[in-house]
Amino acid sequence: MVFSSIPFLYYFLPAVILCYFIAPKCLKNAVLLIFSLLFYAWGEPRFVVFMLISIAQGYVLGLLTERFRSKKPLARLFTAISCLISIGLLVYCKYADFFISNFNAITGLSVPLLGIVLPIGISFYTFQILSYNIDVARGTVAAQKNPIDLGAYVAMFPQLIAGPIVRYSDIAAQLKNRTHSLEKVSAGAGRFVIGLAKKVLIANRLAELINVFKASGDKSVLFMWIYAVAYSIHIYFDFSGYSDMAIGLGKIFGFDFPENFNYPFVSKSATEFWRRWHMTLGSWLRDYVYIPMGGNRVSKPRWFLNIFTVWLLTGFWHGAAWTFIFWGLFFAVLLVAEKLWYLKYLEKSKFLAHIYKLLFVAVSFVIFDSASLAEAFGNIGAMFGLGGLPLVSAEAVYNLRSYAVILILGIIGSTPLIKRLVEKFAASPKREKLLNIAEPVALVLLLAVSTGYLVDGSFNPFLYFRF
Amino acid sequence: MTAKIKNAVVATLCGLWIFGFALWGLFEPDADISLSERRKLAQMPDFSAETLLSGSFMSDFEKYSTDQFPLRESFRRLKSVNEYYLFNRLDTNNIYLYKGYASQLEYPLKESSVENAAKRFSYIYETYLKDSGGKVYLSVIPDKNYFLAEDGGYPHIDFDEMISSLREKTDFAEYIDIIPTLDISDYYRTDTHWRQEKLEDTAKVLADGLGAELSLEYEQKKLDEPFYGVYSGQSALPLAGEDMYYLDNGLFDSVKVYNLEAQDYTPVYDLERASGYDPYEIYLSGPRSVMIIENPGQDNGNELVIFRDSFGSSIAPLLIEAYSKITLVDIRYLASPMLKNFVDFENADTLFLYSTLVLNNSETFK
Repeated sequence: MVFSSIPFLYYFLPAVILCYFIAPKCLKNAVLLIFSLLFYAWGEPRFVVFMLISIAQGYVLGLLTERFRSKKPLARLFTAISCLISIGLLVYCKYADFFISNFNAITGLSVPLLGIVLPIGISFYTFQILSYNIDVARGTVAAQKNPIDLGAYVAMFPQLIAGPIVRYSDIAAQLKNRTHSLEKVSAGAGRFVIGLAKKVLIANRLAELINVFKASGDKSVLFMWIYAVAYSIHIYFDFSGYSDMAIGLGKIFGFDFPENFNYPFVSKSATEFWRRWHMTLGSWLRDYVYIPMGGNRVSKPRWFLNIFTVWLLTGFWHGAAWTFIFWGLFFAVLLVAEKLWYLKYLEKSKFLAHIYKLLFVAVSFVIFDSASLAEAFGNIGAMFGLGGLPLVSAEAVYNLRSYAVILILGIIGSTPLIKRLVEKFAASPKREKLLNIAEPVALVLLLAVSTGYLVDGSFNPFLYFRF
Repeated sequence: MTAKIKNAVVATLCGLWIFGFALWGLFEPDADISLSERRKLAQMPDFSAETLLSGSFMSDFEKYSTDQFPLRESFRRLKSVNEYYLFNRLDTNNIYLYKGYASQLEYPLKESSVENAAKRFSYIYETYLKDSGGKVYLSVIPDKNYFLAEDGGYPHIDFDEMISSLREKTDFAEYIDIIPTLDISDYYRTDTHWRQEKLEDTAKVLADGLGAELSLEYEQKKLDEPFYGVYSGQSALPLAGEDMYYLDNGLFDSVKVYNLEAQDYTPVYDLERASGYDPYEIYLSGPRSVMIIENPGQDNGNELVIFRDSFGSSIAPLLIEAYSKITLVDIRYLASPMLKNFVDFENADTLFLYSTLVLNNSETFK
């Protein structure tokens, strides 16, 4: 089930909210767990088994790790087993066919592919369980004694299928004691509606443009750039919109999930970009891979190796394809190059930094969206006039005109401009009162228009489902 | 308004909205059809272990909940108005408005589709017409994009290329050019089709090409209800209804129209359909696989077979005065190899009369 759908908004959500707030405090997590499993089963009932196995092993091995903390080798063994099961399930479901097909390509053998359908959100909840078991082993959190509470943490539907990657340590205390208030419900509802609008009104519209581009027989250099820009904005609004909805829903149920985006497109460098984009994944890999490998407190070659390892994993986490690996490594090269040579120049020249950012964002997401490396190189070449395409085509001009307002809204919405304007406007108490009147009206309008788009059966894919 | 009150208002309004529509949807009886979209609406799917485990219940429920949402038409309209007027999209649901006319984007030119159409026509010619003793004609009806798209800056197909490509591939047929008789005012503003009451010139040119003579003396009659064409529902934009007319004369009282598919006689103008899914179906009951029109008042023995789409329904009645019999065939609903069982081609002239919309999407030809 996706948040941006009629069944979720007008069937599932009212039901879960009603049951949750009626339930006594001691049953609230159980209500969340049951509804989360229903939510997950809606997409593919049999995959609930994978999740329950993951939760069960995380729970048992977490307890064993804590119980035998004094016997370090044994505790390490339990943690290692837990990590192996979690990673094993992920590798089996997500990467087995990738490895087999590459093995076949190298050896000339024809080992049959497994043809496994990827369980929704497995990359997200695997990382959550990993962080839990590792943190228990490190002693930074206590093992959860109540399987329902742990189940509610892993399966919690707001962040289940597309993040943010909430670590157990982020919400361990809230699982036991959390506050519910009108202020939180209001803030959560507002955040949810804004996320819904980002997804439905901007991301889905640009997805249509991208589809038009892909089906077009009238491509041109201009159309390639429209595609690259549209895809970059689309993926940002799609993913950050979903994160907004997740954070908003979390607030309604009393949780404070970590932020996942911080206007990444205003970055002046790739280094800064990754401090602002999919922040929970970046910090997860930093804390559980990069720093344990030594981070930057090692020799330079080892440091570069650490960076390349992290970015290889970042790419591979996004998908079992060479394009994703290449995409990760593309950023690794940029980050190393920035650190070694030109970051200081970028920081001095705003203009240069913006050109640089536009280039690497557009190029990186073209790689990300390509079905193969050949297609990625072909598309990037075509963007720079190497594809033998005309500079301009009639279809490109038409679509630029047709999607101009949405593209402009997307570009403006990718910056903190609106937020700053609102803050500036609200500086005086009188105007703040006006904003307080406008906000509920705007939210209901956004909800109504978004519902209109959903009712009309508009294009409604969700990109991060495949991760 | 203080922040505290605002919080209460936000939570209350959002809650009322979500819970209100949820309850409304639960208690409102399900509708069967959407008149504006001309389709049946999804109904509550069967709930069973099998449908649940296969996932079909979930996907069907998504369609059901979307189709049966309260105020569905208003929400669709809200979306289209937002899309077209606020987001300034040049089209919504592939429909654009230009000079007061709604038209559907149709591009690019699908060479393979034109070739497929030509192959179908050639098959029919080779199988049934070559030795039938009649003449074979081809005429192409331009869709509204022909008059609007280029002028309005909308993507469009190269109509000249399409027609010359089709003519080249069907050189067994004599081409009758009706395009000069048409302009955009000959079409409905909200529908794909042309207006029958504006087709006298076109029918005349067509008849001249076919070697027939028409008197074209008709009385123009108006339907009581306004006509909302297919683009009205498809775009969901607030488009005004139009007056719909049909041309009548005494001849049509004696003409017999036989629907071979239903094995039933129908009137030339089936006015009951004016309040149905598609009021354009008043003309010869709309697209049907085989319709035979017999004119007892014409004893010249001339027969005409028209391979046609829905445009043919409105112009065929204007041709009947010159023929003893006209057979209308729609190969979207009847496979060409089956024609020998239903259509007599002996000594009959044949006209392939198709719109550019259908020619560019001829994969439905059988």
